[in-house]
Amino acid sequence: MSGITLVGDFVTLRPLTVGDAQLTHAWRQGERATNLNAGAHSVEQQAHWIAARPASEYNFIIELSDGRPVGMVSLSDIDTTHRHAEPGRFLIGDEAAVRGVPAAVEAMKLIYELAFGELELHRVHGTVASDNALMIKWQKFMGMTEEGRLRNHYFINGKFQDAVLFGMLAGEYWAKALPKMTFFIEAAKKGR
Amino acid sequence: MSNKSEVQNVIFQALTALNQERDADEQIEIGPDTALFGPDAVLNSLELVSVMVDIETTAADEFGQSVSLTDDEAMGRDPVPFVSVSALTEYILELLSK
Repeated sequence: MSGITLVGDFVTLRPLTVGDAQLTHAWRQGERATNLNAGAHSVEQQAHWIAARPASEYNFIIELSDGRPVGMVSLSDIDTTHRHAEPGRFLIGDEAAVRGVPAAVEAMKLIYELAFGELELHRVHGTVASDNALMIKWQKFMGMTEEGRLRNHYFINGKFQDAVLFGMLAGEYWAKALPKMTFFIEAAKKGR
Repeated sequence: MSNKSEVQNVIFQALTALNQERDADEQIEIGPDTALFGPDAVLNSLELVSVMVDIETTAADEFGQSVSLTDDEAMGRDPVPFVSVSALTEYILELLSK
């Protein structure tokens, strides 16, 4: 797993380590994770999963500027031939800690900067379970385009759900998503 | 022209929809002084975006006029217009009066 750290104004993305297994496992058991794919069933399984992440993936813990870990996010399935990747595993685990802080916005901005800036990718993509209304609105608002659906692709919360496919091209990121994200971060800086 | 209570009601509807996504012990107290953005905000980023999308959609339906809460005009305001329910109400009224 790649070991870089990405630093923003409000959050830092530092590499996920096996030592984060207990914390991230607890987050995955929380209410907000119910719309995600089932994760590890125990801390030990979570530790094994973290240890097994390939060097080609970027897996991060989202930390506030005071060092408090509040969530996780990743960039995986990086294909340098076709120049695309999948941002995902995005979860804010400590809801109370991020109220009033643009943690989610800046975490995604840092991931996109990595994808479209440093790695010079052309496209990012991902899927969201169709019942995850907040995340679907979020992805569209932040510049993703709904590109299709995989019907009944997930079995989450006791029922089948569609996987909503999202994608964003580099040009769309620079023209639309980045200004919108910058807007939120600059606005929050004014209110500090 | 739309009046203040109609605009405020659109915002309240969006916050009520958000409360339906929250646990019973994490319900937002909805009122003119509800802080939406900044250090005192009761919303996280995902929730704020969800509320703004709902407000933009409902406002277009209710008032027959598109309302953008994160365009260059909003960006130029200091503080941003969605810092609280009352500030957002005034901003939307201003947009609708143009």
